[in-house]
Amino acid sequence: MALRRIAFVVLALAFLGLPGWAGRVALILDVGGRGDLSFNDMGYKGTEEACAAFGWEFVDIQSATSADYLPNIRNAARSRRFDLIICVGFLLADALNAVAPEFPDQKFAIIDAVVPHPNVLSIVFEEQEGSALVGALAGMLAAHYGYPYVGVVLGIEIPVLYHFEGGYRFGIDWGLQKYAQVTGKKADVGLLWVYTGTFSDIAKGKAAAEAQLEQGAVAVYNVAGPLGIGILEAVSAKLAKEGREAGPPFMIGVDANQDWMGDGNKVVASMMKRVDVGCYTAIQMVHEKTFRGGVLSLGLRNKGVAISRYPDLLEFIDFGIKAGVITEADRGRIIENWKAMRAAIPQWIWDAVDELEAKILSGEVVVPKPTTREEMLAVRARYPLVR
Amino acid sequence: MSRLGQGLRPLVESLIAGLIGLGVGALIMWAWGYNPWPAYRVLFQESFGSTYGLAGALANATPLILTALAFAIGARAGLFIIGAEGMMYMGALAAVAASLPRLPAGLHPLVSLALAALAGLLWGLIPALLRAFRGVHEVISTIMFNWLAHFLAFYLVANVLVDPVRAEKTISVARTARLPLLLRGTDLSLGIGVAVGCALLAYLWLWHTVSGYEVRAAGANPEAARYAGVAPRATVLGVFAVAGALAGLAGAVEAMGRPPTYAVYSGLTNLAGFGFDGIGVAMIGRNHPLGILPAAVFYGGLQAGARLMQMWAKVPFEVVRAVQGVIVLALALPELLRILRRLGLLRRVRRHA
Repeated sequence: MALRRIAFVVLALAFLGLPGWAGRVALILDVGGRGDLSFNDMGYKGTEEACAAFGWEFVDIQSATSADYLPNIRNAARSRRFDLIICVGFLLADALNAVAPEFPDQKFAIIDAVVPHPNVLSIVFEEQEGSALVGALAGMLAAHYGYPYVGVVLGIEIPVLYHFEGGYRFGIDWGLQKYAQVTGKKADVGLLWVYTGTFSDIAKGKAAAEAQLEQGAVAVYNVAGPLGIGILEAVSAKLAKEGREAGPPFMIGVDANQDWMGDGNKVVASMMKRVDVGCYTAIQMVHEKTFRGGVLSLGLRNKGVAISRYPDLLEFIDFGIKAGVITEADRGRIIENWKAMRAAIPQWIWDAVDELEAKILSGEVVVPKPTTREEMLAVRARYPLVR
Repeated sequence: MSRLGQGLRPLVESLIAGLIGLGVGALIMWAWGYNPWPAYRVLFQESFGSTYGLAGALANATPLILTALAFAIGARAGLFIIGAEGMMYMGALAAVAASLPRLPAGLHPLVSLALAALAGLLWGLIPALLRAFRGVHEVISTIMFNWLAHFLAFYLVANVLVDPVRAEKTISVARTARLPLLLRGTDLSLGIGVAVGCALLAYLWLWHTVSGYEVRAAGANPEAARYAGVAPRATVLGVFAVAGALAGLAGAVEAMGRPPTYAVYSGLTNLAGFGFDGIGVAMIGRNHPLGILPAAVFYGGLQAGARLMQMWAKVPFEVVRAVQGVIVLALALPELLRILRRLGLLRRVRRHA
């Protein structure tokens, strides 16, 4: 009896006392870094959740300059401590491409790029699908509220961002046609778009959004991660100047659900790109020993991208509280504001967005997915959206 | 003893300042709930305790040596040139542009470096002329030129030198023009040779030639130097030219020598900061070419070790950067105080006169 008790205690101690990690993952971020409330924080969120679920240890490594990418990945691989190294972002692709063959036994995953080595899981998203949905919404909003433009502020010109821009253009055009079909009126709406050349300079996001709002953009789509913080400042300032709290004009969020930001009534919807799901899946695959190199594509059909809805709002209010941007006391007000904001927009617009989603899912509508500059130029020529 | 003592004094000062910096840094980590000892052990062991770590430190030091020299030579001449940042951008882009024509492998790097030096030099020309002929203070003009360079470089990266298939960066430097890696599996390139060579040349120029002596004389006491026949305008122009060329080279060695991309990224994320970090390095190195060498290696090691502090000691990036900043500030303090003291002294002298 006593022996059994001792054996039990020893066993319990072995499980509790020793650092009994089931695995260890390194998350390597680009210069955008933590605190963007979108892309990078989503990678962090999914990794954290997976580590909690599977009992893994988690180390995140941020980069001060892009010269850090290669050493950061190589350091992590050299240490031989990690069961998986996740590189969050297209900009890390060159460095991973150099390091992956140096460490053939090390498992890697990368978000937003295809790095063709057998030990790399490349996780890519069908951003054009979600962007088409928010584009349709923006187009219909501009037409409905009588704004001359919709806007988008993009980061660095990378293939991934062409997906966003291409989908957005297609969606705006679809939304304007829908508006004409529903109301019998033709709206003259143009697109204001700018590549800021940065994923980290928040002030540039604010300046770009200010310019678009001044010209009469009904909504500014954030396709630049952290720059959304600046875009939201511009939207809030514009609303304050007009003596209102709720949009229009709006921001359209990206990557995370950003609807909760700005008190819940300034971000009309978000194009959620579930980087968190990508990271979670990669860790799960290693944990369950099903990891294989190759491409994992996440789109509307497997909830890798989506337009934000009510349950997402609740999930991401928690995300905002955890980030320390809002507090528990804000929850009720944000939910009320959000519901009022969405209710102020005619139901047919929301129905039309659902219709487009169903048509993309059924394959009836195919959204263009430009990846090269030439393809992008062709999409721009097809949907010029100039007034 | 007195000469030896004079030589040792800066070393002792730096040592004390460094220890104070480390102490404050440890306090910061402790205050945020991180154990400073494993963090510092990683910082120094990993950046100076192995060949791989040292290679990382030297790779980071490479552009910093050159931008620090650019600042230090100005400071020796009594000029406060903080335009190395912009000159460095221009140098990097010139080095990239030098890959447009096809050239033989032996010649290509030399042509690229020469063009980069020329680009940096030309970028400093207008502030130099403004200073020499109109008396416009170089602090103001070089800050403004940094911003001009920033936006011009953004434009050139996105529109002129852009990689036709990958819009997030410029074209990559041609293989024939790259500076070869000195150690496989690291990012240390022959650029370190360029940087150290420039430091030695700068030392020989400043301390072993007549024109170098004149530069230092102009810096120590411009009135006396003019009285002794040193042409002030020629000195300003010459010093700006050398500083511009050095800063241009800093951009070039980074673009031509840093794997894996060998290009300038949109947003200048692989260049931004070298010019300003160089000022810190120059201060730590007492604005002396031979002091700058160990200062830059130390600074580069801090950067390399900081990457590993996140990984091994789990100290978050923001805290690592705060600690880094405190150490650098502490090390730069003695030189900063000396400059301030000299300014104070100047005022007192004037009042007596």
